[in-house]
Amino acid sequence: MNIVEIKDVCKTYPAFKLKDVSFSLESGKITGFIGRNGAGKTTTIKSMLNLIHTDSGEVCYFGLPLSEHETEIKQRIGYSTGTVSWYPRKTIRQIVDITKTFYKNWDEEAYRRYMTLFGIDENKKPIELSEGMKVKFNLLLALSHKAEVLILDEPTSGLDPFSRDELLELFKTLRSHGVTILFSTHITSDLEKCADNIVYISNGEIRANCTKEAFLKDHGKPGETLEEVFLRLEREVLS
Amino acid sequence: MNALLKKEMRLSASILSYLFISFAVMTLLPGYPILCGVFFITLGIFQSFQSAREANDIVFSALLPIAKRDVVKGKYLFSILIELSGVFIMAVLTLVRMTLLSDSQIYRQNALMNANPFFLGMTLLLFGVFNLIFIGGFFKTAYKFSGPFVTYIILAFLLVGVAEALHHIPGLEALNAFGFDHFGLQMLLLAGGALMFILLTWLSYNKATVSFEKIDL
Repeated sequence: MNIVEIKDVCKTYPAFKLKDVSFSLESGKITGFIGRNGAGKTTTIKSMLNLIHTDSGEVCYFGLPLSEHETEIKQRIGYSTGTVSWYPRKTIRQIVDITKTFYKNWDEEAYRRYMTLFGIDENKKPIELSEGMKVKFNLLLALSHKAEVLILDEPTSGLDPFSRDELLELFKTLRSHGVTILFSTHITSDLEKCADNIVYISNGEIRANCTKEAFLKDHGKPGETLEEVFLRLEREVLS
Repeated sequence: MNALLKKEMRLSASILSYLFISFAVMTLLPGYPILCGVFFITLGIFQSFQSAREANDIVFSALLPIAKRDVVKGKYLFSILIELSGVFIMAVLTLVRMTLLSDSQIYRQNALMNANPFFLGMTLLLFGVFNLIFIGGFFKTAYKFSGPFVTYIILAFLLVGVAEALHHIPGLEALNAFGFDHFGLQMLLLAGGALMFILLTWLSYNKATVSFEKIDL
């Protein structure tokens, strides 16, 4: 069952165009969203969060259009990125105390559990956190309101191999609990370990939207890894 | 709405927004253009917009389970709260000057504007102009605030200058009324100021919500 549907999303910038982007996320699966820097991954994710004004197209979660059910949908989804830090000079406790008042499903027990698991100190400020800890803090916020869909923009960028592995294991555990994950990355080796499906975007266009196995079968050569397939496809686009 | 306002007050706001409300006591300064108190209060609000931008507050808010227009609403609610806190202090001090200090020579021999209901009306008008020009201007991009703030400063000081000069024009002396002199006219001017505050803020809010829906974060 598809829990998220992105249909014909277009967005034109002076130097870049997102062209009829369509794909879906299967419930309880991890979908790897791959593409090189500037391919349109973040723009697509922003359109999925209503952070940008698209020219056309529609994004639906749980069968509901985002344009009409924004508040309701945002109660049920979570977003995490390693590239932005919110309120860098406030303590995590201050940020969480306010954030939780917006969520009907905030689970204090889950919050405490993940905080211990991630090793996050509530008295620290985001400015004092490493890139990896920032990702974990964002994930902590998403997981504590029991998000059914997690949209993760480059969540493993800047993480050491051990933390990356730890996060990938966590994603697999969340998947086993029915959480749907969109995992945008250019570190394709991470997806080898955990992705069920692959959405491949290049130059603002979706080039593939299928299971990881089908992607490797359709686009790869025998014995090629996901990373090797991705690199070869990108080189083909350039040549 | 409570959660929104609480977020603005505890996460987004600069401490200066609260501290600068105290500039409302400039109402008691003799021989000083007392409307400048409004400018300092709005400077405090400006500081909150600045610190909110540094903290990625707009994007964080847009990701919360609220409608995009509520991000705008939060900023307006916070600004109005600060402005009305300033107006409240100014109103109390104006009342003190109109009653206990109405015969004080230090205020009577003052070439500048007197603290009276007309002054309060002008205060509200200036806050309305701030909301229209600065907050409305900010939400055209949700990150550029220098242009709107400079435009507001120019307009605000022009208005302060006009308000200070008006009572020196023959026939308009009643604008500088002491105590409860010309009370009907004074209250009418206060009501006019309040009406302008509501109108400009409402116009600005509606325009800002439309602009904010269209911009990319």
